[in-house]
Amino acid sequence: MRVYFHNIWISLATAFEGMSITFSHLFRKPYTVQYPDRIAVRVQDTLPYRYRGILEVDLEICTGCLACERACPIDCIRIDAKKDMQTKEMLLNRFDIDMAKCMYCGLCSEPCPTGSIHHTREFEGSDYSLESLVKRFVKVPVPAYKPKKSGEDDPAILPILERGMRYIDEFADPDDGSGA
Amino acid sequence: MSVEIEVEGQGLATEEMTLNMGPQHPSTHGVLRFIVKADGEVMRTAIPDIGYLHRSIEKIAEKVGWHGFMPYTDRVDYVAAMTANQGWGMASEKLAGIEVPKRGEYCRTIAGELGRICSHLLAIGATGMDIGAITPFTHALREREMINDLIEELCGARLTYNYMRIGGVAWDLPPGYQEKVLEYLDHLEPTIHEINDLLSYNKIYVERLANVAVVSPAMAKNFNLVGPNLRASGVKYDLRKDQPYSVYDEFEFDVPIGEGEMGQVGDCWDRYMMRIKEVFESIKILRQALRQIPDGPVIAKVPRNLKPPAGDVHVRVEGARGDMSWYVASDGTEFPYRVHIRTGSWTAMSIIQELSRGLMIADLVAVIATFDIVAPEVDR
Repeated sequence: MRVYFHNIWISLATAFEGMSITFSHLFRKPYTVQYPDRIAVRVQDTLPYRYRGILEVDLEICTGCLACERACPIDCIRIDAKKDMQTKEMLLNRFDIDMAKCMYCGLCSEPCPTGSIHHTREFEGSDYSLESLVKRFVKVPVPAYKPKKSGEDDPAILPILERGMRYIDEFADPDDGSGA
Repeated sequence: MSVEIEVEGQGLATEEMTLNMGPQHPSTHGVLRFIVKADGEVMRTAIPDIGYLHRSIEKIAEKVGWHGFMPYTDRVDYVAAMTANQGWGMASEKLAGIEVPKRGEYCRTIAGELGRICSHLLAIGATGMDIGAITPFTHALREREMINDLIEELCGARLTYNYMRIGGVAWDLPPGYQEKVLEYLDHLEPTIHEINDLLSYNKIYVERLANVAVVSPAMAKNFNLVGPNLRASGVKYDLRKDQPYSVYDEFEFDVPIGEGEMGQVGDCWDRYMMRIKEVFESIKILRQALRQIPDGPVIAKVPRNLKPPAGDVHVRVEGARGDMSWYVASDGTEFPYRVHIRTGSWTAMSIIQELSRGLMIADLVAVIATFDIVAPEVDR
């Protein structure tokens, strides 16, 4: 009999102990925020730099080396690069990324020598059909980027290349051993 | 807890009822089906039916190559992906004879322990929710989201991390990361105590879990339980302590075991409490790792076209759901010849049929939840 009433007492006491914690949360700051319009900046801008969002390619600095195509485990990148016989230049005829297949693993952006293919912080990519999720970056065939020995001097490309290099710096570089 | 039923007219035959629990049942943590043969409320047996989440990950490994398989290991156990990453990395490194730099190993340890806390928090919250307490689940998930934010900063993803690479890790810790994590750990400890007050010692909750589905140490060994489930039965065995891999031998931490505080050793409550105790141990390891981390490179030089010499290795890592063992065979080409993964949920799955005899149907939920079975890990 005593055990019976003791059990009832313990049940009530522990339940109220839990309730008091729940009650204390009434006076704390809320942890949740309304999506998408109740914060001052876009959600995309609050994400960390390494965030792996939708892929983007800067064709101006793409060398056409096909490293990303080889690294992709699910073959969602398709590149056609051909050497133009007259001008001896690499021509990019096609650079497609199937974002519907992409699993955002980031293996393609690692080997890129110029940081041309990179993840943006954009994640809102819903669409009505699978076809429209295939991103076709090459509209008209463009020549591939050729790194200059004396360093880049074209003012149009310079900022893009700088961004690419900053992106690469985020990856651990085994060559220089600095680990940064 | 086995229940003896005494009904008037005991000689009368009662009809056995077959119930399907799942595949889409909220408490099965994924897609999992149990064929329950019940006599009234008491189960005669519960036969697990697995394979709903089979994605042939082991076969995929034979097609995508050594580097390309890393993102797929996230999907083996998507609740605690870091340790799966580490398992594949360690297996490939052992085959190819690559040594991971010290800082890389520390980064792996930090990421792995963060992932373990992440997984245990979900287990703690989900157990509460399966039993019927919904509030603790939101508290646990809130903490999990904060760890996800930390991991996102580290590797750019919240669930399928793909942080580790063969030979080390992909990214170094971002600037100021140590302080950030240490600050978070100071916040996490009181929160876990809060969850304890809210849920663990609640009398109603204890009554639901204590003395239910007791697994004796001998039984746990016979069924090859691993990880927290094994330790909850009172067997002190932790790979991080007994076969230290990576840099785990440099840290001081205890291996908590089930003590039968509320009932018998190895009951559901012990298994639940095991996760809470392990969170505190992980916090201990994290604090030491973050303070001791040396400078240096985080990844060794590994050729892009990796071709490990022919041979086979067996590597074990302590995942959030226990011993995750990787058997990898190479034939000297750029694709693995065979990959086999044995996971903790798989062995926990086998014991359920044995335990279910004489349990109430409502207790099956508690058993699944406290064994922390994650369906994709069972099927792979």
